[in-house]
Parts: sequence; C-alpha cells; structure tokens
Amino acid sequence: MSDPIILCQDVHKWFGNFQALKGISMEVQKGEVIVIFGPSGSGKSTFIRTINRLEEHQKGTIIVDGIELTHDVRNIAAIRSEIGMVFQQFNLFPHLSVLQNVTLAPIWVRKWPKEKAEQVAHDLLERVGIPEQAEKYPGQLSGGQQQRVAIARALAMQPKIMLFDEPTSALDPEMIKEVLDVMIELAKSGMTMLVVTHEMGFARAVADRMYFFDDGLVIESGTPDAVFKNPQEDRTKLFLSQILTH
Amino acid sequence: MATSPVPASERPPVASVGVLGWLRQNLFSSVGNTLLTIVSAAFLFLAGRSILTWAVTQANWGAVTGNLEVLTWGRYPEGQVWRLGLSVLILAVLGGLTWWLWRRGPESPARRSLLVGWALSPVALAVLIRGITLPTPATISNNLGYYLFRPEVLPLLEENWRAGAACIVVGLLGGITWSYLTNRTHFLGLAACSLMLLFLLPLGLQMEPWLFGLNVPIIVPLAVNILLAFLIGSAVGRSLSSIEGLRRWLPWIWGVTLILVVILLTTFDVGVARVAPVQALPIIPPNIWSGIMLTLMLAVVSIVASFPIGVLLALGRRSELPVVRGFCILFIELVRGVPLITILFMAQVMLPLFLPLELTIDRGVRAMAGMTLFTAAYLAEIVRGGLQAVRHEQVEAARALGLSEVLVTVLIVLPQALRAVIPPIMGQFVSIFKDTSLVAIVGLLDLLAVGQSVIKQREYLGAVREIYLFAGLFYFVVSYAMSLASRHLEVQLGVVDS
Repeated sequence: MSDPIILCQDVHKWFGNFQALKGISMEVQKGEVIVIFGPSGSGKSTFIRTINRLEEHQKGTIIVDGIELTHDVRNIAAIRSEIGMVFQQFNLFPHLSVLQNVTLAPIWVRKWPKEKAEQVAHDLLERVGIPEQAEKYPGQLSGGQQQRVAIARALAMQPKIMLFDEPTSALDPEMIKEVLDVMIELAKSGMTMLVVTHEMGFARAVADRMYFFDDGLVIESGTPDAVFKNPQEDRTKLFLSQILTH
Repeated sequence: MATSPVPASERPPVASVGVLGWLRQNLFSSVGNTLLTIVSAAFLFLAGRSILTWAVTQANWGAVTGNLEVLTWGRYPEGQVWRLGLSVLILAVLGGLTWWLWRRGPESPARRSLLVGWALSPVALAVLIRGITLPTPATISNNLGYYLFRPEVLPLLEENWRAGAACIVVGLLGGITWSYLTNRTHFLGLAACSLMLLFLLPLGLQMEPWLFGLNVPIIVPLAVNILLAFLIGSAVGRSLSSIEGLRRWLPWIWGVTLILVVILLTTFDVGVARVAPVQALPIIPPNIWSGIMLTLMLAVVSIVASFPIGVLLALGRRSELPVVRGFCILFIELVRGVPLITILFMAQVMLPLFLPLELTIDRGVRAMAGMTLFTAAYLAEIVRGGLQAVRHEQVEAARALGLSEVLVTVLIVLPQALRAVIPPIMGQFVSIFKDTSLVAIVGLLDLLAVGQSVIKQREYLGAVREIYLFAGLFYFVVSYAMSLASRHLEVQLGVVDS
C-alpha cells in the first residue's frame, strides 16, 4: 500500500463543552470512495469539515496529501486548493453568474487566465449536464441544477479529493438522481471522494468502504457488502433497518 | 377597488380601460373616494392658483436670475471659472461613456480604461479646482540644497513637517515592499528608508523640542515616523501578499512616490524670489469656495471619501483583533453620539490641537474632513448590517475553494453585503448632502448662506421666498436624482437577485 492521501489519527473536536468528535482515525487511499453515514448529530459532517479546516480539530493529526493541517495559514490554503467541497445547501454565490461561480477560484487562486478558466468551466458544465445555463444566475436554477453547478465549481480547481456533505438532502426526490448520476460518474473516473450521505443505493454502487458514525465515534467500518449484509454492531443494524425499510 | 364585470363580447367595456377606466379605478371607485377626489382637487386648485399668481405676477425673480453667478460659484475668481466648467465637462464625459459602455455589453476592454479614468478623476478634479503649484528644476535643486547645506534654516522656516510627512510616505511603501516581495529585492524597502534618513541627517542633527518639551535631534522624531510607518506598511504588505498583480506595479508606485517626496520636500517658500515655484493653476483654497459649488464639493468629497472609510470601519468592527475592533467601536460610537454641528465645530477648534503648529489646514478642508468622518461612522453601521445579512455558509463555501480571507471579503462578502444595503446607504448620502447647509455655522458660504446674503442686498430686500424656493428646488432636484440613481442601481443589481 502506498502512502494514504488522507491520514487522520485520533481526531478530537469540541464545540464549547460539547464533544463532537471523540477520536476518529481514518486512512484513505488515492482513488477510494468513502461513504460516511450515521444519525444526525453523530459528527459525520463535522469530521469531513475538519479535513479542509472549515472546523479546527483540537487534538490528533490530520495529514492531507503529505501536508499536516496546523495553524499555518499557508498549509491551510495549500490543502484547501487541493480539496473540493460540495455542501448540502449548495452555497453558490448568488451575485455571480453560473460561469463566474465556476471560474472564480481558478482565476483568483490558481491565477489562470480568464480564457483558460472559462474553457475549463464550459467543459465541466458540459460534464455535469448543464452547458446551456452558464450565463444564468443561481437563483434561476432548480435545486438539482444548482448542486451540479456546485460540483462543477469544486471540480474547476482540479482537486485531488472531493468532500460531499449530504449533497442530496436538500433536494426534491426527482432531482436526487441527476446529482447522484454526476457523483457516480465522478467516482468511476477515479476521484478520491468522502461522501456523507444516506443514499444507500449510491453507497452500494460505488463505495469502496463505509463508515458508520454515532456519537462522535466510528462504530463500524468495512466494505458495503460487509456492512449491508453482515453488520457487526447492534446500533448499525438498527440504523440500517430504519433507513432501508422506508 | 371597482372590478369591471366579465364582458360578454371580446372587447372590454369602455369604462374599464383607457383614461376613463383609469379615472374610474383610481379616483371614483366609491362614494368616499369620489368625495376625497373632489375635496383634494378643490384644495389643489385654490393653493396652486395663489402660488401660480404669486410666481407669475408678484415674485421678483431678479433676485435669483440677477445673482445666478454668485449663487453658483460665489467668490470663485471670475477668470478661473473655466476650471469649474472643465470639471463638469470631465464628469459628464466620464458619465456618458460609462452609460454608453454599460448599454453596449458586459465585457469590453474599454471598460478597464474607463475605470482607471474614474479612479484618477478625484485627484485630477481636486488639482483642477483647487489649483497646483509646481516646483521648477531651479526650485527643486535650490530647496533640496537646503536639506544638505543650510539645514539650520529649515526649523526657522517651520518647514520640518515636510520631512516628517515624507518619512511617513517612504516608510509605508518601504514596509509594504519589505513584506510583500519574497525574493532578495525586498531589502530595497529597507534600503529606501535608510537612504531617506541618511539624506535628512544634516537637518536631523538640529535640536528641537519634542515630546514633553525634551530637546532632541530632529532625526529622532523622523526615525520614529519612518519606523512606525514601516511597521504599518509591512502589516499591509503581508495582507496584500495574495495579490499577484502588485509585483508589476511596485516599481511604478516607487517612481510616483519619488516625485511625490521631491514635491513634498521642496515646495516651500525660502524667500528667494528668483526661484519661486510656478503657479501652474493658481491656488483657490476651499475656504473661499462658495455657493452651489461649495455645497456640491462638500457633498461629493464627503460621500466619496466616507464610503471606503465606512466599509473599513464596518469590517474592523467585526475583526478578531481586539485592538482594531476596539478602535472601530470607539470611533463609531463616539461620532454617532455627537451631532454633526458639534463635529463641525470640533473640526475647526480641536483639529489644530492634534496637528503640528505649522501645518494649518484650510477651514473648508476641515469641514470636509468632519463631514466625511461623520458620514463614515453612520455608513459603517449600515454596512455592518449588510455584512450580518450575508450567510456564514457563503464564507465557508468561498474558503473551501481556497480563497484567502481578503479575497473572501472582497469577492464574496462585500458585494452581497453592499447590495443588500443600497437604499439606506443612499439615504445617508442624501442626508449628508442636505446637511452641507450646516457649514454656514463655521463661516463657510454654501448655497443657503450665499442666498441669505443675497437677500440683504438693497435691490432684493424681501425676496426671501424667491431665494429659498430656488435653494429648495436645487436641494430637491439633486436629492431626487440621487434616489432615482439608487433605484436604478437596485434594479440593475436586482436582476441577479436569487
């Protein structure tokens, strides 16, 4: 096994007196797709947000692509430009057009010339299936379209890792598929992905490993086959039965 | 509201469309409404008739038309009024070009040069309206010579503040260069500061009372100036480090600064008539500006200058650095806790206490400074409201893309925050425009003050209504134009609203 692209050891995180993460360890190899699931408040979103330092961990180490996350601003900037993130609420910039949303970071962070950034942006919008919406503003798009723009925006930085924080939870049912299709295509192209989701169909289709979080701890982890067919822990069984039955 | 019944034929009934329909819907929809319409019409007719009769037959409009020049530019010298005209022309051309390019399409290279034009216009207009004195090669070499060979004269001339100001400028830029550049050339920032001090050494060896009345060589306060400015500059340079384009501009900025420093050091009067500087445009100091021209200049200067200060104060108030936040809160609350009139008085009476004795600031400039700081404090609170309206998720999304904190603020947070608060910002601008009439109290002659002196002329005695109507109309037209502009801006940006 080569060096892992993400290495987390014993990561702890407190919000005031509340402990959100109680010692998470995880190794992710390049090209792996990891699905993280668990009840709300279990710390799964907090955990993937510590990987690009949107939340600061207070104990433990996180090493991304050979760079350790510390207080050093340059390290944080370097890591963030290698990690793309997609949020539950899309978080597109409402005052910028779709094209500007996608080209913003390449132009300002990667210092690409505008023409190159726009070329890449058009290609990405093509890839996520909405090339005709480039000149529109986020407010004029449906939720599914907005989330696909958000994926294109994250991909525009040509990241090595993509984080997805419940990307389909805010979507109407008929729009979930269009976003999942894009994510499945991305997973098959070899992208390293960490996905917080309850879409078990997605997990079954492309996940290499799954992690079940509860109460700030990893309760169980393994391949989708193992977790679905033969869960070891009672809490995992209970949770799976709750989300798979309806 | 009266609703017209569904028509049997294709055509709507006569009474529901056109002028008749409008009248019926808006003025005569019910008995009460009809009554109100009749009463208001009668009132409007009676009041309007008497005002019209007065305006046409009795009013002495000569008080306005005969004094139009006094009301417009007052004491601005007759022969120099062309400079005001040229300024208006420059603004009109810039405005027209902007409007034209805006209509033509979103992207064009001409836009960039237009932006540069707008950015340069304040300096150009200030020089044009106030005037400028240019040093000649003879005065430059003569006056620079004083720093090297006759340094003992400078304290007598009370001109050492120039050396102090030059030190601050060089120190700032030196600090920025020092922390912005990462290769070995960043030593040039330090070298420039040392060179500056070395040059001022002959002057610096003179003794002068400084803090607590201590007699120290002048070089000590100069060194303190340059050191403080250097520290501030290096802090600024660090926060600018993410902006790549500055690298190309730095040599140019140094070039301009060199010229600035030379002008700063040399345009003093050494009493040698043969090497007097050239009055390229005769200086017309702001304290003799008057009339509409003063009113507009006060408003424009305080609006243009207060905007960036207000935004910085608002950002500072949300800063995580306690010293910065504390200072911003203190400034905002102090200024907002005091009426504008008091600030205008303070600017006249208190400001000289903080400044070196020899540096006397023009009364007009002091009023502008007072109004700018006053507006900035109010703007800061308005902008802070806008900043709070920007959802934190926007900041997170921008950070996750790898944008630095400066870029997050400039590209994501501020555009959204400012867009949300256009109406109150414009309200503040309209309010400060009308408040310019308060400067009469500190002895400046704005439109209203000039009007009052017009009324005191013998041939126009009693023409109070005419003058006040004229002034009122002027304030109304400008204020209304501002609020129209604000609405237009909102519509322009509102299109992109989500």
